[in-house]
Amino acid sequence: MARNKFDVDETLETPFSLKHLKRSAIYIKKHKKTMILALCFSAAAVIASLIDPLVMQRAMDYSIPQGNKTELLLLGGVLICTIALNIILTTLRSRMMVRVSQSIVYDIRMDLFKHLQKLPFEYYDNRPHGKILVRVVQYVNNVSDILSNGIINFVLEIFNLIFILIFMLCTSPKLTLVVLAGLPIFLIILFILKPIQRRAWQQVSNKNSNMNAYLNESIEGAKITQVYCREDENMGIFDRLNRHYRKAWMKAIYSSNLIPISVQNISTWVLGVLYIVGVLWMAPDALSVGVTVGTITAMGSYASRFWQPIQNLANLYNNFINSIAYLERIFETMDEPVTVDDIPGASTLPEISGDVSFKDVTFSYDGTVNILEGLNFEVKAGESIALVGPTGAGKTTIVNLISRFYNLNGGQVLIDGHDISKVTLHSLRSQMGIMLQDSFIFSGTIAENIRYGKLDATDEEVLAACQTVCADHFINTMEQGFDTLVNERGSRLSQGQKQLISFARTLLSDPKILILDEATSSIDTKTERDLQQGLQNLLKGRTSFIIAHRLSTIKNCDKIMYVSNKGITECGTHDELMAKQGDYYRLYTSQLSV
Amino acid sequence: MKGYRICFVFALLLTVISSGMLLVNPIIMSQIVDNVIVGQEINGVIVRQSDMLIPYVLLMVGFTLLRTGVSYGMIILYEKASQGTIYSIRNYLYRNMQFQDSNFYDRNRTGDLMTRLTGDLDMVRHTIAWIVRMLLDSSVMFIATTVYFLTKDVIFTLVLLVITPFIFIITQMFSKRVGPLYVDLRERLSQLNSNAQENIAGNRVVKAFAREDYEIARFAEKSRNFQEANIRSSMMWLNFYPAIEGLAQSLSVITLVVGGIFVINGRLTIGDLTAFSSLTWTLSNPMRMLGSLLNDLQRFFASAAKIIELYYHRSSIVNRHDAVSKDARFEGKVEFKNVSLTFGKTTVLKNLNFTVEPGETVAIMGSTGSGKTLMVSLIPRLYDITEGQILVDDVPVNRWELKCLRKNIGIATQDVFLFSDTVDGNIAYGDSSLSEEDVKKYANLAAADFVYRMEDGFDTIVGERGVGLSGGQKQRIALARALAIRPAILILDDTTSAVDLETEKYIQHSLNSLDYRSTKFITAQRISTTQNADKIIILQDGKIVEMGTHDELLQKQGYYYEIYCLQNEGVKITSV
Repeated sequence: MARNKFDVDETLETPFSLKHLKRSAIYIKKHKKTMILALCFSAAAVIASLIDPLVMQRAMDYSIPQGNKTELLLLGGVLICTIALNIILTTLRSRMMVRVSQSIVYDIRMDLFKHLQKLPFEYYDNRPHGKILVRVVQYVNNVSDILSNGIINFVLEIFNLIFILIFMLCTSPKLTLVVLAGLPIFLIILFILKPIQRRAWQQVSNKNSNMNAYLNESIEGAKITQVYCREDENMGIFDRLNRHYRKAWMKAIYSSNLIPISVQNISTWVLGVLYIVGVLWMAPDALSVGVTVGTITAMGSYASRFWQPIQNLANLYNNFINSIAYLERIFETMDEPVTVDDIPGASTLPEISGDVSFKDVTFSYDGTVNILEGLNFEVKAGESIALVGPTGAGKTTIVNLISRFYNLNGGQVLIDGHDISKVTLHSLRSQMGIMLQDSFIFSGTIAENIRYGKLDATDEEVLAACQTVCADHFINTMEQGFDTLVNERGSRLSQGQKQLISFARTLLSDPKILILDEATSSIDTKTERDLQQGLQNLLKGRTSFIIAHRLSTIKNCDKIMYVSNKGITECGTHDELMAKQGDYYRLYTSQLSV
Repeated sequence: MKGYRICFVFALLLTVISSGMLLVNPIIMSQIVDNVIVGQEINGVIVRQSDMLIPYVLLMVGFTLLRTGVSYGMIILYEKASQGTIYSIRNYLYRNMQFQDSNFYDRNRTGDLMTRLTGDLDMVRHTIAWIVRMLLDSSVMFIATTVYFLTKDVIFTLVLLVITPFIFIITQMFSKRVGPLYVDLRERLSQLNSNAQENIAGNRVVKAFAREDYEIARFAEKSRNFQEANIRSSMMWLNFYPAIEGLAQSLSVITLVVGGIFVINGRLTIGDLTAFSSLTWTLSNPMRMLGSLLNDLQRFFASAAKIIELYYHRSSIVNRHDAVSKDARFEGKVEFKNVSLTFGKTTVLKNLNFTVEPGETVAIMGSTGSGKTLMVSLIPRLYDITEGQILVDDVPVNRWELKCLRKNIGIATQDVFLFSDTVDGNIAYGDSSLSEEDVKKYANLAAADFVYRMEDGFDTIVGERGVGLSGGQKQRIALARALAIRPAILILDDTTSAVDLETEKYIQHSLNSLDYRSTKFITAQRISTTQNADKIIILQDGKIVEMGTHDELLQKQGYYYEIYCLQNEGVKITSV
């Protein structure tokens, strides 16, 4: 799959189907009882409010003309009761629904987030991070209301509609037909507008996502932008994305607002026709056809009452179409295949001693070009291995395969004789310490960052790890020491300092297998030497894989593997390889500054 | 909001018109019912104006079309005005952020900044498109109805209005209480955003440490916090809702009881009372709307505060009023005079003094955290110095116009940041007009020949931050990017640390044979990178401890010599 850029809309492969709705039902089901109760409350509130007009009518028709003040006061009392009942029921319903809707949001968000944690590197590598972020936060917020209150209101309005329909049928079946004649027209309009609206809201979500992606990157890369004086040009790009978003939004608004407008017009037409037909049918001697003055006025007010719920339903429908655009994206992410996952019945990897062997390993990132082919090697527990070779030869790939960040295309990787594809990822990775090329720093204190390697580490342990990697010196010179706040982006840590912190983090996790991928490239030679001495003790009893370009780092390893040509071309100790006068020899001599 | 004012004012006008028009259709309807259907009794004969039916109906239909047309136009205008407003605010905020100094970026989390440009701005949109409209709509209705009532019966109206002050007091109380809750809610949203953003950006570390469960727990906490804050603010509204709603609805009780008594006493006719009771909702509706509008408004204030903060945040590094610029290419002379830099109480650079002539190469070495990166960041004025002077082409850097200064400096930073764009787009980042051949030329100079082997070559899209490329590959693209702007001053901050040695040799060769003159600052750890420099500066705790050429420093037998020996362990030093 091609990588996605900030200015490319993500296409949605799956068309919308009822499947999405069924899926949403999973989240709603949990709250079925509460929602039914809330629905009952609302229905009761509606019924209570129906009493009001009856009370008014009674007062107007009898109490007031008769001058009966006591009855009037009594009716007032009844009115107060029904209003109070109505308010209490409505408040209760709202209280319940606030919790339900928030809980649905929480569930969807957590499911989405949990799924994201399982997704492989490629998923993150293939799209701007802002586009993922917008789904987790904004989109989920956007769908909450429709899935909770939306549903209840929908059911209520339908009931309302049926209720009034029955009333109308009782009053005059003929005129009811006239009122209903407006419905097909409305449905046709709905039918025409639906695809337009749906596409419009999808566009809104796309453009929003694009803008977010660019925004996210702009913040992260602000420094580069400044040193390259790209501000104006970036402004231009952002302006374009911003404008596209505005345009998409307006387009959606144009079509969405046509719906309530058409409902209002249709209902007026219906009313007009109702009056005309009613008058025509009204015989001079009113009773012969069954249409009387009373029927017409009653039907007139019913007709407006009938179209009110339809208007509300149309608004709900609008919100629904809007939310669907977001819901689709959320489910799309949840459906993203987890390529690297525990196999069914995966066993837990017992505590390992650290033997690693590759058997006929073949691997390709894209399924066409093999990075590694038929790779075989064996490493005994406690050995330290240096991987050297030209950039892009596959050194990082090899170490990534040990942690099973990718699945093999052929062969096996065994740790202590266990095929790593058959054990749980957690039991595997929690026994490895991997220091990646870029040392990511989370926002928080330095101590928190180091503790990421072992969440329950004591202060002493943290300090000890720092001392081992010689990071204690610079941390102590900082104003707040270990409590200094740092963040991923701008904090004043130098690259070397970041590497030391992430080194300490890795050591703290007390891994059986240690993987250092260019871990010390930005650390100065002297610190590195001190660090090496500290490490020597620590490396005892651990298998380590070290990728480095600096020969001083490499030379001390038990075994050096030269990676090139889809496999390992040379393997041995420093002296052996020097004697061989091959690739390694050439590499080594080229570095000597003399 | 500039430029959209007319739009907005027009929308406001239409609101008044359309809420006024809302009252017209019921009048026509009652006319139909009274005159056509029920008919009027004249001298005991019921006269129905049947011939008026069609015109009335047409009038009603036509009027509805007009009214809905007006309200459609109004909604569109509101949306236009609000979209236009947030469009320009968003653009401005983006622009303002682009110019912020490092200090700003050190303090603000990405997720928080994103919240301001998304969620907070959406609240502004909502305010303009909805709250303002509803507020106006409600007030117009309220005033119109009140006036109508007053013309009918003053005392009755006053009785009805007795409850208004109570509504005001209650909504005020509510506003005061809910305000802080929204500030809190907004803060939690921002935390949620930040947490998710970092999790996504740091996904590799999360996997490497198998910390998925920990991350999920952390996110669950943030998510839960947000949920609770949401519930809290909603519940606060629901605490006040019964009171507000009750007061609003009490209007119909008052109408019934007081109105009824007035009718009985002969003050009002029953017709008047019917009219009143059918219009009470126009009075009570605005009252109940007030509560929910104030609710939204408080939410808006919480967001607006954050936006305003960012809107007016000024970078401390800006052009001076007497800033100078020059169109011609810089010579590339750089001079540090007693330069010191202090952050808070810590002095990070002390008394730096040196001069670099145009075209010279300076290598900077020193232990981790000794201030190498900071020192070179001072040249493009990423930080303002505390003491002393830095001169570029004999002009202090803070007198140069920023753009002019930075245009002449090419930097490849230590922490390589690539954009999710094509390789070509990344190399041409500093000069997007660069031709394809030039991009390739600079890529070749930076030994980025691996690009040719990629599936889509220079059109390959690089993941965000350059993920998917190895450290060395990223560094080479960043180097090509710096070379491509043909800078008079080239700063390479540890640019080749992850590059293998053969490639590094090649890069050094191309740096020496650039087809433009460029003063080079190179920070590095490897002697092989630094040894051919015209000048080598050794930094230690922010001070220059050694300075000289390779041979001079070797003879000095200090830090440099020590490093040299470390890196060439076991090899005889023959040149000294």
